[in-house]
Amino acid sequence: MKRSAHGNRLRLGVAKVFFLVLFVVAAGRAFQLQVLQGEKLKRLGERQHLKEWIVLPKRGAVMDRAGEPLALSLEAQSVYARPHRIPDPARASRFLAKILNLDVVDVEQKLTSDKPFVWIKRQIGPQEAEQIQALSADGVGMFYEPHRYYPQGQLAGQVIGFVGRDSEGLEGLELHYNGYIRGETGSSVVERDALGRRVLVQGVEGLQIPPGGDIHLTLDTSIQHLAEKELESTISRYRAKAGVAIVVDPLTGEVLALANYPSFNPNNFSRQSSQQKRNRAVVDSFEPGSTFKTILAAAALEEGVVGRDDLFYCEMGKYPYAGKVIHDTHPYGWLPFSKILQVSSNIGFTKVAEKLKRERYFKYIEKFGFGQITGIDVPGEVSGLLRKPESWSAIDLATHAFGQGISATPIQMVMAYAAIANGGFLMRPYLVRRVVGSKGEVLLENQPHVVRRVVSEKTSRLLASMLKEVTNEGGTGVMAKVEGFEVAGKTGTAQKADLTHGGYAASKRVGSFVGFVPADAPKLVALVLVDEPEVSVYGGVVAAPAFRNIARGALRQLAVAPQEPDLVPPPVGQAELPVRQVLKKETEVGDGSATGVPDFVGLSLREAVQKARAMKVKVKMLGNGYVVRQSPAPGGRWNEESILVLNLQG
Amino acid sequence: MATAAKQSVKTLRSQKRQRVESIGWLQRPRHVVLVVFSVLGLVGVALLHVWLRLQVVHMGYVLSTTSKLQNQLEQENRELKVEIATLTSPDRLEAMSRRRLGLRPPEKGQVIVLP
Repeated sequence: MKRSAHGNRLRLGVAKVFFLVLFVVAAGRAFQLQVLQGEKLKRLGERQHLKEWIVLPKRGAVMDRAGEPLALSLEAQSVYARPHRIPDPARASRFLAKILNLDVVDVEQKLTSDKPFVWIKRQIGPQEAEQIQALSADGVGMFYEPHRYYPQGQLAGQVIGFVGRDSEGLEGLELHYNGYIRGETGSSVVERDALGRRVLVQGVEGLQIPPGGDIHLTLDTSIQHLAEKELESTISRYRAKAGVAIVVDPLTGEVLALANYPSFNPNNFSRQSSQQKRNRAVVDSFEPGSTFKTILAAAALEEGVVGRDDLFYCEMGKYPYAGKVIHDTHPYGWLPFSKILQVSSNIGFTKVAEKLKRERYFKYIEKFGFGQITGIDVPGEVSGLLRKPESWSAIDLATHAFGQGISATPIQMVMAYAAIANGGFLMRPYLVRRVVGSKGEVLLENQPHVVRRVVSEKTSRLLASMLKEVTNEGGTGVMAKVEGFEVAGKTGTAQKADLTHGGYAASKRVGSFVGFVPADAPKLVALVLVDEPEVSVYGGVVAAPAFRNIARGALRQLAVAPQEPDLVPPPVGQAELPVRQVLKKETEVGDGSATGVPDFVGLSLREAVQKARAMKVKVKMLGNGYVVRQSPAPGGRWNEESILVLNLQG
Repeated sequence: MATAAKQSVKTLRSQKRQRVESIGWLQRPRHVVLVVFSVLGLVGVALLHVWLRLQVVHMGYVLSTTSKLQNQLEQENRELKVEIATLTSPDRLEAMSRRRLGLRPPEKGQVIVLP
């Protein structure tokens, strides 16, 4: 018994010592792991199961005034490679080149390079991405990157601009409003399991980075499309170099359409020239020519130096002034001021400028916003060239009177006419109505902004009534007349400076038309400018028809009722038939004029003769150039025996 | 001697009494229940902690899958918006309406704007 109790105590003691030692060792190890190496081991562990998750910025959309999307962002995959991890670069490059439609040699060069990381192709399509996924080659991976799409293609391309691969705006509204629409890049640390899958044990708050705001434009997609189409057809018809068309709401300064030619498709901006990217309406300035006479007329009427019916002698087309001779296209004798504007007499306007004096004229040029930027919300706007009156030579007063020796941007010109249209207020033009955040909050709102009053309402109404005469019988802008509406406007045919030899180029011209409609209660102001047309150079021939077509379509789009409503049903034609009947007779659909008077307006003499011969129509031609009027009017009832009278001009 | 023996007997008795008292404390059912419940409680808390941790991880997986699905659906939604906008672009609509339906811009008198 005694030995046994002693043995038990011994064993108990040994066990005690053993566990004590064990405990001390365990505690020591724990101290070593937790305290001495704690930080280092924690870092190693975190590296294995924690990962920084980068949230890419979500760029906001760009929409027109009706909410039609013009720019949207998607996530596209980009293919990369880690060359040193690829076991067989030659084989991998063959597969990759085939899937991604690349050159095998180029891909193999990348895959055998010494770099640890190379891009194979950025922003590929979903089908290509699927094939790369299926390939599951070692050392080849994909990464999501934001990609900008412009679903309407070239529509308002120069206005919207474009973004680079890093989702930063590089041009146009994308650049100007980059801070609002870019969205923020965010990152959050998330846990991942042994297979690399992320486990969001911390929730998703850290990953919810608010996207960029959506931009709502003042542009109307339909009017923009119409302006671009008309501009393109005008430029191709008159073989011109470039062109601009702008439509603005004169009461607010909202830009409804801003078209440039050559056109630009931001979907593949890197492949297009800098000429295509130019937003000529704001970054290029032109000598305006006769459209500028309206500014002088406004100044002279406001200052009371002339009245509507004051007579001026137009020197029968030749007027020696300051050592030079000023010419008119047609010789005129005594003309009232309103008629001088209607026929656009350079001599008449030189005499008006002499009466007004240079200082007062300059004051109004500045008041109308020339020589300073309009403040339109796109980048790169220029102010044009305006010299102080002190530096004008004697001839400069005359040249400024008919819009030479001064340069202005198309947007300046259209806003000056908007001031006459709206009763005398110079408005700031704008393209963005508002920027709306992801939760519907308004981040920015542009309101109509009056820069200053330029002329009185009385002067602007008087001038508008005079500008109406320009598009009436005997005026230079008859081809701008829109059926059912009175149009107030002015044609311009400006000489272009010869940058190589100095002076003006012999044959280069800029034809333009600026006007507003309806003349007495304007709903829109539009400008069409055609740079270096070859077939004809006159603004009244080249730009006025495009103005008419744009204004007609825009008024229809804005649901403006004609002042002279034509409720008489149109001649029985296919347009009146239900669609099914139209489809049945599709083969018979010609230019739709078989039952009505054919439309000859805008055709050249040769084209009119050819069309008349082809249609076996008897025509009588009056004048030379282009058809500006025809009698009976297009679309009316037509007897094959009757004679069609065509008035030509230009 | 006798006194020493008496004292040692006293000491032994008191030790025995103490042992009996301590065994008695344990033998009381109230105390056993308390100990058992305490141990069970501790084990329960530990299990609850483990269960909660498992739930968190499970929910983390669910959240991750749902978040991925949400991103996919958002991407799909944006893709469809691009597709709609491309298909309804004025350029395409005009070309199709001219080609397939034989439509053309309305003539004078064919559009009546209601006041």
